[in-house]
Amino acid sequence: MYKLILKLAWKNSFLRRVRTLLVIIMIAVSMSMMLVLEGVYDGLVKNMVDKNKRSQSGDISIFAKEYRVSRDLANRIKNADEIKAQLQSTKGVEAVVLRVKADGLLSTARKSSFASLIGIDLKEEERFGKFSEFLKEGVIDFQKQGAIVGIELAKTLKLRIGSKVVFSTQDIKGEINSIALHVRAIVQTTNIGLDKGAIFIDINQAHKFLGTTSQDAMQIAIRGEDRELYGKLKRAFPNLDVKEFLELQPMMKMMQDVMIIFNSVTFLIVMGVVFIGIFGVMYVSILERVREFGIMISLGMPYRYIRAQIFLESIVVGLLGYLAGAVLGAILLIYLERYGIDLSAFSDALEMWGYEAVIYATIKVSYFTTTFGAIITASLLSVIIPLSRIKKLNPIEVIKADK
Amino acid sequence: MFKLALKNTLFYKGRSITTAVLTFASTILFILYISLLNGSHKSMLENSLKIYTGAIEIYHKGYRDIGGNEYLIQDVKAITDKLAKIDAIEAYSSRYETYGLLSNKEHSAAAMVAGIEPKREKILSSLESALREGSFLDENSANCLYMGIELAKKLKLGIGDEVAFIGSASDGSFAADIFRVCATFKTGSFEFDSSASFITRSYFDELMYAKNRASYITIKLKNIEDAEEVNSQIITMIDDESLESLTWKILMKNMVESMEIDAVFGYISLSLFMVVIFFVIMIYGFINVSSRIKGFGILRCIGLSKRDVFLLLFYEILILTILATALAAPIAAYICYYYSINPIVIEGIADMYKDYGIISNEIPFDFNLVTFGWNLGVIYLLNFLSILYPYMYINSFGPFEATRHV
Repeated sequence: MYKLILKLAWKNSFLRRVRTLLVIIMIAVSMSMMLVLEGVYDGLVKNMVDKNKRSQSGDISIFAKEYRVSRDLANRIKNADEIKAQLQSTKGVEAVVLRVKADGLLSTARKSSFASLIGIDLKEEERFGKFSEFLKEGVIDFQKQGAIVGIELAKTLKLRIGSKVVFSTQDIKGEINSIALHVRAIVQTTNIGLDKGAIFIDINQAHKFLGTTSQDAMQIAIRGEDRELYGKLKRAFPNLDVKEFLELQPMMKMMQDVMIIFNSVTFLIVMGVVFIGIFGVMYVSILERVREFGIMISLGMPYRYIRAQIFLESIVVGLLGYLAGAVLGAILLIYLERYGIDLSAFSDALEMWGYEAVIYATIKVSYFTTTFGAIITASLLSVIIPLSRIKKLNPIEVIKADK
Repeated sequence: MFKLALKNTLFYKGRSITTAVLTFASTILFILYISLLNGSHKSMLENSLKIYTGAIEIYHKGYRDIGGNEYLIQDVKAITDKLAKIDAIEAYSSRYETYGLLSNKEHSAAAMVAGIEPKREKILSSLESALREGSFLDENSANCLYMGIELAKKLKLGIGDEVAFIGSASDGSFAADIFRVCATFKTGSFEFDSSASFITRSYFDELMYAKNRASYITIKLKNIEDAEEVNSQIITMIDDESLESLTWKILMKNMVESMEIDAVFGYISLSLFMVVIFFVIMIYGFINVSSRIKGFGILRCIGLSKRDVFLLLFYEILILTILATALAAPIAAYICYYYSINPIVIEGIADMYKDYGIISNEIPFDFNLVTFGWNLGVIYLLNFLSILYPYMYINSFGPFEATRHV
């Protein structure tokens, strides 16, 4: 019996071919557009979070208690090397790096700008966050007083590969000290702070310049996604300031939250309107066949079979729309994940705000599962009202009335 | 035909109500979304312009791209004398900007120190109104420094404290002096407040050998909308190939561009809603004409042309759209007007997005009748487009065929 009902449902779905096709197109177009928007916006935030973690914050960072309030050399961790060794043997820690930082003035022969000198170990940074992937121009190398500068800082000072710069700041004794450097590379981390103001040099050279020792560091950055790690480190280092990524980058948390809200609201509105569309078509489609349903009931077909047939019809329409939308959306998302949206024409503006000129989408299975659930639900709900009208039918009257 | 259309809209209640409700919702959504988008962008630009950047600025060519003392404006007076003759200019002033190290015994920080004309600056920028502590500069302030509050915090300086300045003068020689912090300011722009400080030009010129020289001349207009026109006037008037006069659109090119991108993404997001609503309106229109094919056949048989059928459908959608927009537009306009005067406040947003130049927790809407006009135009256009397919569908039947349609 159910095989027959399924056959009937399939045939009836295409009784008015154009109408059904319009609904399928509506679902497919709106769904694929929604998937693309979700994917692009999520990709934007995911990319920023990932690069911020790799270039600066890690999953967790440790500072001296007062450092984040006052970025003074005095507020440094004085046994950083011991802590690093301890961290490396801690379960859940994937990578650890030490960084030395000082704010000062970076000058060329013609221009000056504020900058933060960051002493790093290139090999460790590569393991920590694939530092070389941030390279925009030049070679990642600190040889011969080499330095690596952020892309926006390079633009401000009109720096090129090989440019000479002088960085001046107060050293640990309070003396104004300067260091001459050669730009070896320009990097784009999409971390707005680093891109606008960072000049990276070798950590040992930074120690020498600032008068600190290899035991000192301003920041210990840690990679490790173990959920318990943060609590464990907070307990292990009560005299230090242990912060996790989202505490250090509250803006990222806000961006993530805004994206979730935006995507949810978009989803609800679009699915609401899609529901109205399916409802309109199903309502008309059912009510124009009232006579047929009357005959079927008169012939002894139980109401539950008619109900099943109508539900199946709406599911067929919804499912076909979903499949078309999923395929179209997946194709677009795969393309955008691989090639991205090229906004190079606006690269200056995008880089100024920490975005890359090419925006890549991300693909999550949840996009497809939640949309599937929503479309099937919308399809099923759309026939509730017409079904209640069929249920109230008096078959004899319906057949007579429509004659 | 209009009468017939009116009767049809009243007769086919389901379709009429759905179309009107969807048009109403999309009109409200469209107007509010665009108003919010434009309002937030306008507010960001206005805030940035208000703080320090002028509507127009005059530079020596090469100063912005290459920089250095040889690209300073060499004869400020000759230019400002000409500017004084332009009516549309409200105020102008020259600034001498340099970067150097400010240090006390324990702390030092890189800073931009700018020599300004305090009297003129009061009219030009919001520097004076940003005063937090102490008193704003005047012509006799001598070595008084007006310092950004975040910079003062960084250097742990209070009012009356001394700070050493080291930089280079306009002739390239070494320049150093002791300044005294006389006042602090807070504009809300974290970057600006943590890096800028100001000093009276008359004093600074002596130190920097910068008399009658300037990094640039900044101009405030009576009406910012006239920027392009006044700029052309300035270029003609100063008639100097070595100088360039730039409007805020060029000076803040990156910000303008980023807003354009933001607007594009906003429109893409909005287009999703519009496409879905368009489809639903079209589907309802299609269902409606499908049930009236017989009727259209009869109309054609009694002499109505295809054009008349199109007019009938056009009037029907027009009536529904007018009805929906007549209700939606005033409501949306009122909401926009209300929130343009009483912006939405999201506590902490400025602090959260300080790196992005957001300086206010307020998000105002933009109340602009021209914008409303084109927003409504788009809604009308979409609704008119939604009848094209149903119209083509009706025309696919011949008159007699249509009368026999079941």
